[in-house]
Amino acid sequence: MSSLNSMIDVELRNIQKRFQQNVVVKDFSLQVERGEFVSFLGPSGCGKTTTLNMIAGFLEPDEGDLFIKGKRMNGVPPYKRELGMVFQTYSLFPHMTVAENVAYGLKLRKVGRAEIEERVKRVLDLVKLPHVRDRYPKQLSGGQRQRIAIARALVIEPSLLLLDEPLSNLDAKLREELRDELKRLHQEIGVTTIFVTHDQEEALSLSDRIVVLNHGCVEQIGTPTEIYNQPASEFVHTFIGKTNKLSGRVTAVAAGRVTVETDGGLTVEAGEQRQPFVAGQRVHVFIRPEKIRLTDAGRTPNGGSGQLVMASFLGAFTECEVRVGDHLLSVKVQMVDSTLNLNPGQTVGCSWNSDDVLIMPAARDAG
Amino acid sequence: MNRRLSILLLIAPSMAVLLGVFLIPMLLMFLLSLQDEAEQFSLANYLLLVQDPYYLELLWRTIRVSLWTVLCTLLLGFPVAMFMANASGRVRGIVAVLILAPHLISVVIRNFGWVVILGEKGWINETLLWLGLIDKPLRLLYNELGVVIGLTDAFIAYMVLAIATSLYGIDTSLYKAAAILGASRIRTFFSVTLPLSLPGVVAGITLVFSLSMSAFVTPALMGGSSVKVIPVIAYEQIMSTLNWPLGAALAFLLLGSSILLVSLFARLVETKRYKEVFTA
Ligand SMILES: Nc1ncnc2c1ncn2[C@@H]1O[C@H](COP(=O)(O)OP(=O)(O)OP(=O)(O)O)[C@@H](O)[C@H]1O
Ligand SMILES: [Mg+2]
Repeated sequence: MSSLNSMIDVELRNIQKRFQQNVVVKDFSLQVERGEFVSFLGPSGCGKTTTLNMIAGFLEPDEGDLFIKGKRMNGVPPYKRELGMVFQTYSLFPHMTVAENVAYGLKLRKVGRAEIEERVKRVLDLVKLPHVRDRYPKQLSGGQRQRIAIARALVIEPSLLLLDEPLSNLDAKLREELRDELKRLHQEIGVTTIFVTHDQEEALSLSDRIVVLNHGCVEQIGTPTEIYNQPASEFVHTFIGKTNKLSGRVTAVAAGRVTVETDGGLTVEAGEQRQPFVAGQRVHVFIRPEKIRLTDAGRTPNGGSGQLVMASFLGAFTECEVRVGDHLLSVKVQMVDSTLNLNPGQTVGCSWNSDDVLIMPAARDAG
Repeated sequence: MNRRLSILLLIAPSMAVLLGVFLIPMLLMFLLSLQDEAEQFSLANYLLLVQDPYYLELLWRTIRVSLWTVLCTLLLGFPVAMFMANASGRVRGIVAVLILAPHLISVVIRNFGWVVILGEKGWINETLLWLGLIDKPLRLLYNELGVVIGLTDAFIAYMVLAIATSLYGIDTSLYKAAAILGASRIRTFFSVTLPLSLPGVVAGITLVFSLSMSAFVTPALMGGSSVKVIPVIAYEQIMSTLNWPLGAALAFLLLGSSILLVSLFARLVETKRYKEVFTA
């Protein structure tokens, strides 16, 4: 092994998985570095759990190779892989106390009594639940169970921590709290982590890198900002957050800047794009609601003026709909930067930076 | 108030039936067991039962046969229950039907089936002789082994279904959790599957034990004259010897010892942990 390779904790090489005729995971390749936090993000049924189960050893890939710490893992049963895993349903042993649950993996490893005691105490302190050690799982709240499940996975000091939607069974507030907790834990112990979620906020806030999956295919692998700002596909862009989609035709390409005339009668200038475009090409233009500013009508360097159709106040921001030409644009307004009165019916201007405009080629049948 | 009344009305018919066909006859039987031959009140029957070594051996034999039956149904039934728990709904249904189907046939006929199979000229002995593994037929009938085989066949369905029901309730992700923590399949069985199936095991043991203690037909047919158990002797006292009071006393000895042993077992199993884990 070269020194470069030894920093790679997990490697998937062209992994493929079929159930009967359905290809559920297609040609999945990924390298995860030591200490990295990688998320698998994608809609329901895209193959996230299936991929995680192959890494854990509950499923065997039909094709491709899996390496953990440089060792080929195909055919190695889960109990020999030395991994930590947290399941969506917590999966604490109901007939064992919290302390016994946490100690389970250590007992299997024939760790001495005193050391087990010591390590259980340390990990319960780490998840801030030292006082529940003698309770049974059913005497814990959902959030506490999840923390204990994390403690049980971490106590064996796994080479890799796998988390399958660990927060999805919790209510919104607790989710956020545990998300921060996960982040703190990862910073504190630095265990290599693969996190499965269909929640883009979780993925964006926690990850060093995100793997966006769709129908078993890797759509993009990148840092949260890359995924957010330079999506490789329309799917990635629309999955990661709300957006406005306008169809149109390229009218000019000059010095990396692309000008599009939309079907609704807007002229949109866009900054540099990941892919080249030619004049006359049918395209889709994407602008995120939070990238659009509402201004006084009239002055619109890159944008247009229109009529405010609806404004709903949501606390931290106001969600508006503005009719510009034939388009209905959603706009997210932070109240800080707006001294406007938002009354439906009034005329407002919409503007945006050309760098915040994303252009994707339209599918053939749409042109 | 209204609710109470309607509940009372709803259970009234079954209560009346229970009272009429169960409690009152029981009471009459009990009074009968407290009579001597002159129809005077006396404890003589019970004193005889606890002092005569013949009856003590009889009691112990009945318990022994029942315990062996419990052990056999448990060891043979657990794997079947595990198979059912791991199978799809369809396969579960098929297996349940296969297990219960023999109960559509009278236990008398099933026991005679065993007599044919286990007898000196039965196919088990014939096969073993032919293979040269034995040189004279094994005695598989008309001894305790025969009775245990018959009772195991008669009651294994209860054990399987009781255990399977509690296995169905185990979240299968617990097996994954155990595996990823480093437990082999055998370790997972002993540390997760078995402890969590305990309520089913306890129910199965209690059921099969009580049924075996009071079984009459199978010991009578497959035990012959050498393995007499309490129900068989009680029957003889009442039907042949016409000593009804002693027969009644035997019945109550059986009932009393069954209740005592079953509650002792429950006491033993239901530790503090068991209660905390398995009661809501
Ligand atoms: N054992 C199986 N047999 C057949 N098909 C399966 C099996 N397990 C999963 N699938 C299919 O494979 C696809 C991917 O499933 P997977 O569980 O990996 O999705 P997921 O991304 O984890 O979704 P979710 O977010 O809903 O958990 C789905 O279409 C699913 O129906
Ligand atoms: Mg899943």
